[in-house]
Amino acid sequence: MSESSGHGGFCPGAGIRGVEHPPTFPDAADSLLNSPGSEQPSGSKGVLLLADGTRFEGTLFGTEEIAEGELVFTTGMCGYQESLTDPSFAGQVLTFTYPLLGNYGVHPGVSESSSVHPRGVVCKQHMAFPDHRDSVGSVHDLLVAHNIPGIEGIDTRALTRRVREHGTLLCVFGPAERADEMETILQEMTPPDADDLVAEVTCDEPRLLNPGATDEKGESLPRLAAIDCGVKHNILRELCRRFEVVWCPASMTLEEMIRDWSPDALFASNGPGDPAHPGTATDARKTLAAAVRQGMPVMGICLGHQLMGLAAGLRTYKLRYGHRGSNQPVMDLETRRVHITSQNHGFAVEDPIQGMLAPHPSGACSEVTDNVLGAEFKVRHVNSNDGTVEGLDLLDKPAFTIQFHPEACPGPHDASPLFDRFQNMVVEHLSRTGAEIVTKDGGP
Amino acid sequence: MGVELIGCNLAAIDEAEDRDLFKKVCEEIDLPVCKALACDSIDEVIAAAEELGSFPLLIRPAFTLGGLGGGTAFNMGELVEIASQGILHSAIGQVLIEESILGWQEHEYEVMRDGSDNAIIVCTMENIDPMGVHTGESIVVAPQQTLSDSDHQGLRDAALKLIRRLNIKGGCNVQFAVEQSTGDYRVIEVNPRVSRSSALASKATGYPIARMAALIAVGYTLDELPNPITGEGTTAAFEPTLDYCVVKIPRWPFDKFRTADRKIGTSMKSTGEVMAIGRSFEEACLKAWASLEYGKPHPRPLTMSDASDGETMDERASEKLPTALLEDWLRIPTDRRMGAVIEAFRRGYSIEDVRDLTGGITRWFLRRFEKLAAIETEIRAAGEIGMRPAGIPESEMRSWKGAGFTDLHIADALCGFPESGFKNLPTGQDETALRMRRHELRVHPRYRMVDSCAAEFAAVTPYYYSTYEGGSAGSGVDYVPGLSSSVKQKIAVVGSGPIRIGQGIEFDYGCVHAAGAIQDLGHEAIIINNNPETVSTDFDTSDRLYFDPLTLESVSEILLREDANGILLQFGGQTAINLAIPLANELPHLSTMGLELTMEGTSPESIDEASDRERFEEFALRCGLRMPDGATATTPEGVRHAANEIGYPVLVRPSYVLGGRGMEILANYKQLESYMRDAYLSSDRPLLIDKYLGNAMELDVDAVCDGEDVLIGAIMEHLEEAGIHSGDSTCFIPPQNVPDEILEQVEEWTRVIGLELGVRGCYNIQFAIHDGLLYVLEVNPRGSRTFPFVAKSTGIPLARIAARVALGERLCDLDIPDPQNDAVCVKAPVFPFIKLRGLDPAPGPEMKSTGEVMGSHVRASAAYLKARLATEIPVPTQGGVYITVKDEDKYSMIPLAEKLNAMGFTIYATRGTSRVLRSAGDLEVKTCYRIAEGRSPDALDLMRQGKIQLVINTPRSTGGAVLDGNMMRRLAVELNIPFVTTLAGARMEVEAIKEAMDGIPEPRLLEIKSLN
Repeated sequence: MSESSGHGGFCPGAGIRGVEHPPTFPDAADSLLNSPGSEQPSGSKGVLLLADGTRFEGTLFGTEEIAEGELVFTTGMCGYQESLTDPSFAGQVLTFTYPLLGNYGVHPGVSESSSVHPRGVVCKQHMAFPDHRDSVGSVHDLLVAHNIPGIEGIDTRALTRRVREHGTLLCVFGPAERADEMETILQEMTPPDADDLVAEVTCDEPRLLNPGATDEKGESLPRLAAIDCGVKHNILRELCRRFEVVWCPASMTLEEMIRDWSPDALFASNGPGDPAHPGTATDARKTLAAAVRQGMPVMGICLGHQLMGLAAGLRTYKLRYGHRGSNQPVMDLETRRVHITSQNHGFAVEDPIQGMLAPHPSGACSEVTDNVLGAEFKVRHVNSNDGTVEGLDLLDKPAFTIQFHPEACPGPHDASPLFDRFQNMVVEHLSRTGAEIVTKDGGP
Repeated sequence: MGVELIGCNLAAIDEAEDRDLFKKVCEEIDLPVCKALACDSIDEVIAAAEELGSFPLLIRPAFTLGGLGGGTAFNMGELVEIASQGILHSAIGQVLIEESILGWQEHEYEVMRDGSDNAIIVCTMENIDPMGVHTGESIVVAPQQTLSDSDHQGLRDAALKLIRRLNIKGGCNVQFAVEQSTGDYRVIEVNPRVSRSSALASKATGYPIARMAALIAVGYTLDELPNPITGEGTTAAFEPTLDYCVVKIPRWPFDKFRTADRKIGTSMKSTGEVMAIGRSFEEACLKAWASLEYGKPHPRPLTMSDASDGETMDERASEKLPTALLEDWLRIPTDRRMGAVIEAFRRGYSIEDVRDLTGGITRWFLRRFEKLAAIETEIRAAGEIGMRPAGIPESEMRSWKGAGFTDLHIADALCGFPESGFKNLPTGQDETALRMRRHELRVHPRYRMVDSCAAEFAAVTPYYYSTYEGGSAGSGVDYVPGLSSSVKQKIAVVGSGPIRIGQGIEFDYGCVHAAGAIQDLGHEAIIINNNPETVSTDFDTSDRLYFDPLTLESVSEILLREDANGILLQFGGQTAINLAIPLANELPHLSTMGLELTMEGTSPESIDEASDRERFEEFALRCGLRMPDGATATTPEGVRHAANEIGYPVLVRPSYVLGGRGMEILANYKQLESYMRDAYLSSDRPLLIDKYLGNAMELDVDAVCDGEDVLIGAIMEHLEEAGIHSGDSTCFIPPQNVPDEILEQVEEWTRVIGLELGVRGCYNIQFAIHDGLLYVLEVNPRGSRTFPFVAKSTGIPLARIAARVALGERLCDLDIPDPQNDAVCVKAPVFPFIKLRGLDPAPGPEMKSTGEVMGSHVRASAAYLKARLATEIPVPTQGGVYITVKDEDKYSMIPLAEKLNAMGFTIYATRGTSRVLRSAGDLEVKTCYRIAEGRSPDALDLMRQGKIQLVINTPRSTGGAVLDGNMMRRLAVELNIPFVTTLAGARMEVEAIKEAMDGIPEPRLLEIKSLN
């Protein structure tokens, strides 16, 4: 039942029909393979300071350094490795509400990227001796390998309540003896949302992941350009089963993509930070909007969805404390079915009628802009708990976006049919427009 | 009839419960089930073994009776041997070779689905005991601990696929076996209904599965229902996420049934369970242990006394448990295994050693137990170098408490677990000293809400657990909105803990009513309990629920946290009432911390007077109440002397008991000596020796006293004579055979006892009538197990009245409804004999029943018939009756045998009995051999041949017939043949048969009136 390959690396083209010699990329757990493992945590005392003045004492693990960032929490009871390596956590300090962290260790080939993205990890009890057939090390080992600090022995429920009541807030933690230094850091710290976080996590250059991929009839799969705003590996795996995928940097323009790769469809990924950030996120938004205007099939997940919302003239805003976990109920307003979904986002798209639901006390939101998509839209999915927008369908355009994660990892597979929906949308679009999927060359 | 079955479909039940159909369903949707191959020859068997890949393999012969010729083979040699036999024994020469999943991990998924196909997983659970032990018998942890996200999602998908394929609307439970080293899994079974596991899952998550399933059954969809925990604005269509660890431990009856086979496996032997919640596995585990009430509130190093159940005067009691025995306890799953695992780590066994010995307990869990043993060693070591409670540093205190160690556990460990036991720790080193130090350090538990969402949303469930986690976080969390400003009185009710012999669900009934009564009076009701199977632990039964152990330590902390005004102890059975005196002693200390608590109801002083044998004898003497001659003794000589003074037969039992533990009727000196060999005597644990009133009629009375008036709920007449435990007796309301003047005396004495003893609230008295004279046997200053029966029979809400009186109301101010008196009500016991081998299925002075049923009708015989039918043991209307009775009963049997014969039954009897029966005249009796004669046909043969539909066997308390009777009763249990063991029971059974032949009596509507 485990999908773990038992060996390292990330090779989304492996096992895809028609693909020979797919490229392999690094996986965050690779560094633990063939490594003698790091020493056990030293047991040094640590402190965690919050911007509201709260102080927690704990014990350090991982790298014994100072970590700073925006404090968020995830409520998933397992799937910590996937979360730790999810690029959407860039800039944040991640708290696990489940009190035991690392029970089954770290497994090769199941990371969601090549590194650990939260700037620090907070938990109640770290398990130094994991137990699982695939385990190649503990969470501590993984953090050490990626130079990320962790702190345990924290009353994470008290912490979570604080975040729930005050909204996400800034924090810093590290060795107890450096508390004064940390106080200063905390006072001078700026919200990570102001940084161009997408630029930090996107890939450097476009890569074709599964060249020559075909369907069971031996026909070439449509080609998809996937904008990497901080894409999770499992999204690429899911896409590679349905498309010939070009993994593109977030700053790449649509013209460049068409010139070099002739994609049939476009995908915009999840990613960290504020969707309205003027940097790379805005580049990606422009690409997305241009593709929609051209009538190209488009799917967006998470940040990709927020970019679509912005392009549609909706505002995006910071949520009080975000949705992070594996149990978020989402209703499909068309089918009236509820799916339990995996989520990880701190911003949301406003509802065209009800506006900004569950906002952060800071009231942070984007400017009002025009709809630049050349198409109307409707809200297709909503969160059953707080009513926030979870998905948009464009009218008369082959495009839709969703706030949640159909690729799961971690989390339930309930929403995975949405990838099929996109695939069908692309195939239908191609047959309607008379376009033929031709075998394309490998790009520049 | 136009009645629609809602909420389940019959096809789903068939497909889930029929083994073959279920296998087909799983194969159809590509879910793996245990692989099995049918083989007609040894060559095929060998080929099958190769195909299946690995040993062990199960061999199941096709079409044999009782699995003859089957077995488990661990290698090819064994396989060939067993399979050859199997093929031989099979009626069609075929065996099924099946892969064995023994030792695999067991995981459970609780699934909910509505009519619109929305489906969710409410809870995942992982069994600590690997496959081979029934999940009800296993220690279970929620959520699952050792599966990765991809492992878990794979099983989640499979569970959802199954509930969809079976088209179940409502709740269901799916069990998987997982081979940890490969990740292979098999679907074991689906329970297409709300089950025992769903009760646990509900309490573990806060998600009320049964209620939601009922709403789904009437047509709601999950998304339409507000989330029952987080309230309006959130939806029931979500999956609970936990930020704590839950441990469930079954409660087995082996402390009562010392002769029963303790081995646990595929059939349920536990009577109940406890659950505990903590912020670490260790904490949850030790809290659950403390909730079990086995007599040892925390793990201690194992000695020979553990092997003899701690009740022995054996000189070897202080000897360390021998290695061979320890390893047996690890190897063979019994109730002792968890203690043995911790002991193994104490002795330095490695994780791998213990894993191998236990047949595959997951290393992760073993690592946690190893950690517990390590902390214990750390505390012990600190004690060895002189640390005393008063000198424990704060960091150590926090760390030990955080791992779940109770005050008593730490104190005991600091003293090095002395042989004299945890109850006799030296002053200054005992539990009190530890608690003083802890309070001095201001180390108190924090209370966390069970909110199903890991604090993501503000929840509305007033459902809490304690944890000593908290580190330096100064601010309390999970406060109750409005608690500090509440002006209401806060009254706590202590529940009755796990269901066990002698303390069943009846006590929960009282607790639930007590909570209701508190609310009736405009106060806030707080319930403390640890049993996930109860209504009292539904979070909407009270204003606030605390899921915690029922120990002095945890109850005191809750009272402090709540700043409670009162506590009610008379409804939670012996568990709660036993807290009365210790809590009263603790109150001065608690008051220094600001607690102003009233112990509501009967005072601890009166409780002691009623419970302490010597004090009660003085009381009886003072009030002119007759008691059977009795004495208390603390030494073997004292016991012998007392028995001689009183005269045999005597009834012997330890003091302060519930459910008659260790109670026996001894006919002579020889039996007394034999009893003494097993008895445990000490100055604080005396033995009571009473005159046994042979052939006495027993009465039970439940009553309420407010200090000036007494309300008698009902007088119950036992069918069986005194000496059969009252919990095991069949009883009648109103009494059927008691003269009016005696009834008047019973009422008068009940009044005197209530008023003179100073009872405030409920009490229960057992009386006996012997030779026309009334005797008081015992007084229980608390609600009894018959309270629900009385309420349902009379329509008077007795528990509710008792609670209101205990809280200070006067009976004369309550509008108490008139009792119904137009029918007879009968309560009959239900016994667990089929599950518990090695237990003599004859009622005696020790309680053996696990439950009860009730029948109600205008005619006593019809009411009895209804109760008998409800026990699910058939009432025969034709066939044969086997009669073997003790000599003094033989002549009394004649009219019964005649009646049975006249109704068309064939009478079988042993020689002695048949001679007497024939002597009456023309009664036709078939004679058979006594079992001990070893000749055919004996009773066992006749029973197996299906010729016997009823056994009347009044056992002699002594002599060689004991074993005969035991074997016969065992077989009757296994063949589901009714048997009666008393003359009175036989008379009533004959009446019931007569009723049954006239047809099933019509139903009767019961009504319990409410109190305004």
